[in-house]
Amino acid sequence: MLKIFKEEPTFRFIRWRFLAFALSGLIVLAGIFVYATRGFNWGIDFSGGTLIEVGFDRSVAIPQLRGPLSAIGLGDAQITRIGGEDKFFIKTLAALKRQDRPAGEKLEDIEEYEIVAREIRLALMDENERAQAAAGRIDLNNSAAGEIARFLRDKGLNDEDAQDTAGRIIGLRKGGTGIIRDLAALEQAGVKHRIVELLREQAFFSKFTFLSVEFVGPQVGKDLRRKAMLACIWALIGMLIYIGFRFKPLYGLSGILTLAHDVLVALSFILFFRIEMSLQVVAALLTIVGYSINDTIVVFDRLRDNLKVMRKDNLEAILDKSLNQTLSRSIFTSLTVFLTVLSLYLFGGEVIRPFAFTMLVGVIAGSYSTIYQSCAWLKVWERWLVKRKKS
Amino acid sequence: MDKSLTWKVGLIVAVIALSVFLLYPPKDKINLGLDLKGGMHLIMEVVTDEALAIQTDMSATQLRGLLKDASIAYDKVARKGFSRIEVTGTKLDDERRIKDILDDDFRDWTYTVGGSLISLALRPNVEQQLREQSVDQALETIRNRVDEFGVAEPTIQKEGLAGDRILIELPGIDNPERVKGLIKSTAMLEFHLVVGGPFQTEEAALAEYKGQLPDDLEIVRTNPRRLDKGFYVLKAATVVPGKDLKSARRAQDEYGAPAVGFSFNSQGAAQFERFTAANIGKPLSIVLDERIESVATIQDVIGADGIIKGRFSQDEVDDLVLVLRSGALPAPLKYIEERTIGPSLGADSIRKGLMACLGGLLLVVLFMLVYYRAAGINSVLALLLNMLILMGIMAYFHATLSMPGIAGIILSIGMAVDANVLIFERIREELAAGKSPKSAIDAGFKKAFWTIFDANLTTVISAVFLFQFGTGPIKGFAVTLIIGIVASMFTAIFVSRVIFELTYGRQKKLTRISI
Repeated sequence: MLKIFKEEPTFRFIRWRFLAFALSGLIVLAGIFVYATRGFNWGIDFSGGTLIEVGFDRSVAIPQLRGPLSAIGLGDAQITRIGGEDKFFIKTLAALKRQDRPAGEKLEDIEEYEIVAREIRLALMDENERAQAAAGRIDLNNSAAGEIARFLRDKGLNDEDAQDTAGRIIGLRKGGTGIIRDLAALEQAGVKHRIVELLREQAFFSKFTFLSVEFVGPQVGKDLRRKAMLACIWALIGMLIYIGFRFKPLYGLSGILTLAHDVLVALSFILFFRIEMSLQVVAALLTIVGYSINDTIVVFDRLRDNLKVMRKDNLEAILDKSLNQTLSRSIFTSLTVFLTVLSLYLFGGEVIRPFAFTMLVGVIAGSYSTIYQSCAWLKVWERWLVKRKKS
Repeated sequence: MDKSLTWKVGLIVAVIALSVFLLYPPKDKINLGLDLKGGMHLIMEVVTDEALAIQTDMSATQLRGLLKDASIAYDKVARKGFSRIEVTGTKLDDERRIKDILDDDFRDWTYTVGGSLISLALRPNVEQQLREQSVDQALETIRNRVDEFGVAEPTIQKEGLAGDRILIELPGIDNPERVKGLIKSTAMLEFHLVVGGPFQTEEAALAEYKGQLPDDLEIVRTNPRRLDKGFYVLKAATVVPGKDLKSARRAQDEYGAPAVGFSFNSQGAAQFERFTAANIGKPLSIVLDERIESVATIQDVIGADGIIKGRFSQDEVDDLVLVLRSGALPAPLKYIEERTIGPSLGADSIRKGLMACLGGLLLVVLFMLVYYRAAGINSVLALLLNMLILMGIMAYFHATLSMPGIAGIILSIGMAVDANVLIFERIREELAAGKSPKSAIDAGFKKAFWTIFDANLTTVISAVFLFQFGTGPIKGFAVTLIIGIVASMFTAIFVSRVIFELTYGRQKKLTRISI
């Protein structure tokens, strides 16, 4: 039988509780400090704004993007590299007011955003591409199927050919990087020679493509922050009631202090590493609230049994005993979830990474806090707990 | 094999069969979210205030008519805010007759009469009803337009706590700009008398009125695609409400250029006829979606039919006809959110999601096998069944699988084996305490049950709050997580137990188990 501990371990966990409180306190304080000085890196879910994921056919350095963006007045756009060196997120605020707009012209946010997306697209093109676009040629790497088909119809193709060609072009973009390099690729994909020749005159391939474009209006965010906070608080209250009901009110109180600790620590690390605060991060936080209580319940269960058996020992010894008895279980249940979340973090791609990061921190914090929050708090409240037991 | 075991195995086989049946073929049964297959996701808010204002304007017009018919003198009937009307300058002698009119024809309104001022307010329940109606109507109209345009499998539904938001999901959309234009057009074709213009800027128009525009006028800009860029000052009241428009069609103007033809219903025609007769020689503007499409002098009395001329392309005429036919939106829409996911990103996300799933599964399976040996096989079987049931239930509910949903599946892999770990560790403890393998297994399952139940319930509680809070994909995550947890209760506790019984049940003298 494979075991991590040959014998039941005899760590004296509770003895170090003040050190642990200090450590947790330090992390949370540092988190508060970062929050006060730099704040969250709000995602567009919360702040509103435009988020464009752009892919290039080659390695590009961030300054190469910064230049053209500054030229159109978007110098403060946030550019993040994704994975390799050819994909980037470009994030700007929705309420972007351009100086050169004629006075009195009021645009809705959404129109504002459409203009922003279009201008960023133009800005990222090189001289040649921009000239082609200005000459009314179509950019096959940045046009939707319907746009391509319509363009071809206007150039005299029949409907069937136009649809078929557009379909093949989109099909090509679906595989690989999403960027077609030249017409040869089209011919290989089965586009008729005649049409390829037409495209040679009428189309061009820019060296990047917009993989996704997202816009969230500024009015959504404020509402959402409040709702996210309420959801977290309600979930915590739910836990308090459940544990208070299953065990005792003081256990419930320790439980939610533990969970609040886990959420605060996760938030602190989100702040330290400038992880984008988005809806999925809130989902991760709520999952942590539901999950990290599991170990605590296991220990509390054991503690309740031990309190009946070990009447002569003091609370600290009983707590240590309970923790040691459940230690390998606690480690393993956290480990399985940790492994899956790690896989998500490593392989799941950039989109889901903030979620995976938050869960990773949460799972670790959750294991740690089972010992140094849940049980340590019980020790702090020993006076009331023990009195209760005697009466 | 004893009877109860046969029954249990039968149940498990039935569950497997049902899941496979629900799931097969997976391509058709599992709905991929937009983030995985590409497409456009829009959330729009129906500006219900505006719908109320339109309704109130119409009531104000009606009131003016009624007062005039009864030859009751007044200075002004004006809309205040979006659901109130004020009548000023009435005489005290007329109070009785005014009250009669209001009691008869304005039952949806409460009113107060104070000297020369009468103010009316829409009853709150009527107001609420109008708001809801306008959202429902908007939903219906958008559905018609999207259907008519021919988008496959669109999702169009109400969203948000106030119920005034509409979610539109269009998979693999071909021509985003055009579809957006189609959806968004209020198709509120309005006719307003022109008071002044054109002006170069809004400020210039405002300057005509010394910076203070009277209540019954408004400044509207032109649609630069049809008219020269500029602003006009218009009478705020619309001549014929958009809902009186009966049909629209392709037409041509006298030079053969594309134009949009329209007809009113009889009520609208009568109203328009009366209006044009009274205003011959005055300039009239046609306003669509709050932009002026055309300005022309009323030459003659116009009844049921008319055309809109302008610099239209054929596509523009087609789109305009489509939106006019599908009916007007009762109120303007405001874009709240728009996400366009390109086709290659979706494919990439599926690959990565699968990778992460397989990676997670592999790590967990390896860990369980190395650490628990034969019992590990047991838990892996339970885990695979768990996945199958999860997918089966998702297929049954037509749940949409999005990237957060995949994250939910991956998490449930980790959490499902948690239950196995709890049970196995307990069995080990019982064995260490000197119990026989059979009673250790019994005790292990029995004692771990409540712990597992507690642990899963807490996760479900917070997932429920998450579901309450979240929008689309986050809801998907919460749902997958909940289904995964429920399925794991069945597999880790029931199925895994049966497997133990199947492996060890027939051995008379069981001295060792591999755990």
